[in-house]
Amino acid sequence: MNSKNDELAFYPGCSLDGMGKAYRKSSELVNRDLGIEMKEIVNYNCCGATEVKTASYDLSVFLPSRNLALAKQMGSSAVVAPCNGCVFSLGRANRAITEDAETRKRINSYLNRAGAPSYEGDVEVKHIIEVIYERAGIEGVRRRVRRPLTGIRVACYYGCLYTRPKIYTGAGTGKKDNPEHPHFMDDLMSAIGADVVDFPLKTVCCGGGHAIADREVSVGFSAAILNEAARAGADFLVTMCPLGHMNIEANIPVIEKQYGKEVVRPVVYFTQLMALAFGHSRREARLSDNFSDAGRVLRERGF
Amino acid sequence: MPIHEKHLIEADKIIEKEKAELEGRDVSGQWNTFIEQRILSQYEPEIFQKIYSRPEGRTINRCWQCGTCTSGCCMHTDFGLREFNPRYFIYLARIGDVEELKKQKDVIWRCLACNKCVERCPKDVRVEEVVHAIESYMRKKGWAPDNPASRWDDEYLRNVMKTGILDEISLLRNYIRDEKLEEFDTHYMMRMALKLLKTGRVRTGPVRHRTKGWNRIRKVAEEILEKDGYELKE
Repeated sequence: MNSKNDELAFYPGCSLDGMGKAYRKSSELVNRDLGIEMKEIVNYNCCGATEVKTASYDLSVFLPSRNLALAKQMGSSAVVAPCNGCVFSLGRANRAITEDAETRKRINSYLNRAGAPSYEGDVEVKHIIEVIYERAGIEGVRRRVRRPLTGIRVACYYGCLYTRPKIYTGAGTGKKDNPEHPHFMDDLMSAIGADVVDFPLKTVCCGGGHAIADREVSVGFSAAILNEAARAGADFLVTMCPLGHMNIEANIPVIEKQYGKEVVRPVVYFTQLMALAFGHSRREARLSDNFSDAGRVLRERGF
Repeated sequence: MPIHEKHLIEADKIIEKEKAELEGRDVSGQWNTFIEQRILSQYEPEIFQKIYSRPEGRTINRCWQCGTCTSGCCMHTDFGLREFNPRYFIYLARIGDVEELKKQKDVIWRCLACNKCVERCPKDVRVEEVVHAIESYMRKKGWAPDNPASRWDDEYLRNVMKTGILDEISLLRNYIRDEKLEEFDTHYMMRMALKLLKTGRVRTGPVRHRTKGWNRIRKVAEEILEKDGYELKE
């Protein structure tokens, strides 16, 4: 299975080397426990997220393409990104390069001049949750659980760009998640013993795109998401995107003031809960990194 | 012409026509109107051509105005900003209604790029990209001023162009400083900084993550920006 072409290239993106350190460390723990191997792309650059494309189309294809080209050079057939924004812009670059010969030619000439290999748009882009789901499987995760999170109620929040739009992410095809009703995180959380609540806002926007630029919107959406999680009786809001995670967490002080303490739930990465269930300590899962007090709730429940 | 069941019609929808003739018959009197008559005198077909000629706006001509984008739009439906209407933005850009388009300047930049519209469009219009193309075209033409989102994007790009990798903390710090956002006072920032320091997420000192060979890549990036007419402000 681990032939050279099957090797996964890991694209951490800027968040995992910055604010999202807890996500990185807990993902590494989970991957190690499940025997999933990934090789990090050395010398990667920012993928441009959704910001660069308003300045220039070509630049917004060139930046992610360089990372994909490096992955190809490493002999990988797939790039794994932990961030919805990265999954979006890498997938968008693939689409731009494969659907238009002119764009492909232009981007390749930029790549060559920047000292990167040419790229034909043939490296698959995957979110880390899809890799865990596909490689380890629900059964594999269940077998690895040392300390099931029995009695912990979680609301799974996928965010916007994980499956959307399917023309970039390929959602709904092959082994990918359903574009309108994603369920991979629900299944993984059930596998580690948590109770998954019905959460209709799982793919709503969190306002993270304008986290600081449009405060009314980003606070409004974060509050709506937390409120719905609280209404559904969840103990945690579980996330899989460093931007969404940061946005909702950093808004908590404002939400507390505007809507009251009772709507707020601690926010954790899905890999943090998985690491806990696999027997790692709260410290190893880096729960103290979170601005919201996730540790307290877990302590009260005896974890 | 008499209007039956006048009580069903709102008063301001009734107009008086003193002398009206239709095919030789006198139809003067009170009329019910749903839509005010108006004449569109200023329109610029160039808007459509310009949007269509950009790769991000290429799909604008596929739109058949069904409104699927607007009905699910998170700004329109979830946030409840009724003036935010992607179907209408596309309509205006296509007929080239400059005056009406200019009225959208305080609304159109608020698109969050959640891509629900792109996902659901039955005609594969990349609505989100088209809307952003219209928005930046309006700014380029001077029909709309810079806005908080465009300034954020500028700051983001400036940050990335330094080393090839985004430094979130300096991005946040610079943007909050330049926009003079009062909400993030010294107390809030200190609390955030302390937490980040404690958990080892602030790189102390001047050393930033850097893509090796970035100088060479940056030259190409600058060239692309110049080609696309984007000015990177220092």
